[in-house]
Amino acid sequence: MILQLSEIDKRFDGVRALQGANFSLFAGEVHALMGENGAGKSTLAKIIAGAIAADRGQCFVDGAAVTINNPRDAQRLGISIIYQELDLFPHLTVAENLAIGNHRLKEGGLVRLADLDRFAEPFLEQVGLTCSPRCEVKPLSTGEKQLVAIARALSMRARIIIMDEPTSSLFDDSVERLFKLIVALKEQGIGIIYVSHRMDEIFRICDRVTVMRDGQTVDTRAIQEVSPPELIRMMIGREWQARDRRPAKSSGEVVLSFSGLTTAKLRDVSFEVRKGEVLGIAGLLGSGRSEIGAALMGLDRWKQGQIILRGKQVSIKSVKTALNLGIRWLPEDRKLDGLMMQMSILENGTISDLVPVSWFGFISRQRERQAAMSAFGALSLKAASIDLPVRTLSGGNQQKVLLARCLLGDPDLIFLDDATRGIDVGAKEDIYQLIEQLATQGKAILMVSSELPELLRCCDRILVMREGAVAAQLEAGRTTQNEILTLATRSPVQVGGRA
Amino acid sequence: MSGQQRDAAKSLSALAAIFILAVLVSPTTADGSNIFLQLGNLTDILRQVSIIGIISLAMNFVILTGGIDLSVGSILALSTTVVALVLTRWQPGFSYSIEITLAILAALVISTACGALSGAVIAVLDVQPFVVTLAGMIGIRGLAKWSSNNANVDVGFGQDVASAFANMFRGKAVTIACYVVLAIVFAVLLSRTIFGRYVRAVGDNERAALYAGLPIRRVKLWVYSLSGLLAGFAGVLYAAENHQGNPNAGVGYELDSIAAVVIGGTQLSGGKGTMSGTVIGTLMIGLLTNMLRLKNVDSNVEMMVKGGIILLAVAVQKQGKRAQ
Repeated sequence: MILQLSEIDKRFDGVRALQGANFSLFAGEVHALMGENGAGKSTLAKIIAGAIAADRGQCFVDGAAVTINNPRDAQRLGISIIYQELDLFPHLTVAENLAIGNHRLKEGGLVRLADLDRFAEPFLEQVGLTCSPRCEVKPLSTGEKQLVAIARALSMRARIIIMDEPTSSLFDDSVERLFKLIVALKEQGIGIIYVSHRMDEIFRICDRVTVMRDGQTVDTRAIQEVSPPELIRMMIGREWQARDRRPAKSSGEVVLSFSGLTTAKLRDVSFEVRKGEVLGIAGLLGSGRSEIGAALMGLDRWKQGQIILRGKQVSIKSVKTALNLGIRWLPEDRKLDGLMMQMSILENGTISDLVPVSWFGFISRQRERQAAMSAFGALSLKAASIDLPVRTLSGGNQQKVLLARCLLGDPDLIFLDDATRGIDVGAKEDIYQLIEQLATQGKAILMVSSELPELLRCCDRILVMREGAVAAQLEAGRTTQNEILTLATRSPVQVGGRA
Repeated sequence: MSGQQRDAAKSLSALAAIFILAVLVSPTTADGSNIFLQLGNLTDILRQVSIIGIISLAMNFVILTGGIDLSVGSILALSTTVVALVLTRWQPGFSYSIEITLAILAALVISTACGALSGAVIAVLDVQPFVVTLAGMIGIRGLAKWSSNNANVDVGFGQDVASAFANMFRGKAVTIACYVVLAIVFAVLLSRTIFGRYVRAVGDNERAALYAGLPIRRVKLWVYSLSGLLAGFAGVLYAAENHQGNPNAGVGYELDSIAAVVIGGTQLSGGKGTMSGTVIGTLMIGLLTNMLRLKNVDSNVEMMVKGGIILLAVAVQKQGKRAQ
């Protein structure tokens, strides 16, 4: 056993984040840490990595009691963490990112670039990164950045690597590469703590799983001994039933159509969405799936082609115009693109629709509150008070605040960009049901997702994007994950005659 | 209790603590009464903080958007110069009241234009506010000195229109009333209007604000214009109080007002802060200055103490944040 934690307690501002958490890790083991948002996974991971200090409890590395007060202590003990948001220095080179703050390198003095390269190269090779050690990190893809982060961990001689939702922003090909690397690291005797929500991944690559709920570690089991429904039950503490796909329908009038739209990142994109229809958009990161939203909201300039809304050709040059045309958008990254973290739940919900609840620029608090409550209510948002800062909410509830913002304008068309990314199963199901309801009410929905099962479950049709162009349009009821994946990664194949 | 209320309670208690300290250390008159507590002294404090206080109200808006305005001191100087020049060099033969109104309007329009220009460059060219307003601070100071030939423009004590202006606006009550009214107006603007909400949203997360359809450029243009306007208005009061247009006035006022805003709990990175906090921050500096001056503390020591207070205020805020 290389790592053992026992009876870890942690409180933030009097709120209990961890209570009596226990965890152990063997060498050469991939150990999943699962739980809903707010269950304490990240807190536990950060305590192991020294990013925060535990209030109480013991930690043993190789059987010896240790105290980890800061990340440097953890690194010396061979513990590294790969954060979800990859804490790299974007303007430094790959080699510099490996070297900076590395306890294995001498501090101070001058460094020769060639020495840096020599230091970095073996680790880059080990993770299978092909770029030069001297290239800047910023332009790399998310998947490549992750490899840099892992190489950095290896360069510090890490024996325990914590990966916090490593696949949340990757599409399947980068995921495969990551999994191969994880298997290789395992064979070298490195223990990996794998924090994730994704059931299929856990069953594929993990040896054991520890489930957390409300700050406590519920149980640790060998992966062969558990089933997905059992894990979900352990995570949410009750029975949970996934609903099936609703029957497809697409008979309403056309609400939106793109005709040959070309922007800096889109090539000749054509499709249409009807009233009451859910159109899924699949594709790798950078395939143009999010860029459809950027074009629709007037953020990217249209070079060629048209957008036709309810039969009329429109010109959209700003988000404001799009909102006024009854289009709503839920951006991809709720923290960076969506929420004002210090503002209250209420303020975040109503920010795009203050004019209807105002009188000559003065906000009527009562009317604002009424409008927000009706939207929050429809989403079963859980919050102690809507006047609390939005950052106090769990990921799933934060996403619901953004959804409420979409609903408040009573739009005809909603573009959801990876709306369920990094949120727990319960909240995901709430969002699926909401999408269904909205479609039943006759709204047209465009839905981008990294998770193919989700698209197959929610959508009527699926648009597959590849390199900025439409690779195919598929009937969701008559396609498979494999087909979508093939289309998204290889040369476009004509499917259904309407590519 | 929400976070904002808690912050407000914290700054109020800090203000109260300084007040009590000032009472305790204040010297007494021969008949035993507390000099600090004399009505004359308390109103003097209010009058002294009014100029910086007025500038700070708009500075709070600027900082809430995540920006900064270093040009306010220079704008104040330009405004004092403009109002004095118009009153003394221009004899259109209108009645005094019309002429005074026009002089003040000229100063306010020019000041607002200076702010709007900074705002336009910041909003449209997307240049860092620090750099743009630093350029403004230098350039506008130059303009003030050039327009007055580098000399003070005296506003007399006699019977002419300039003297009438000074007499009208130099009173303690007028100055304090202006500050109080503006503070209320700006507090309402921040907490009750769409504009105020947008200001905080832009400072909290500009990209999210853009994606939520907010008119970011317009918001920025407005806050810098307001900053220019209030600096200009403060300049008018300054000219009346000091009986002159002074192109060298207001040096360092940008830093004093930033200090008031920061002590008042507004986050320098934007998004979080209240108008009451800024007023409290201004009063804290005023009380402290008064307390030290009543004790005849050396003015250099006074600056050291102020520096310490700013650090302390920021450290306390940081502490509160970490606890969350």
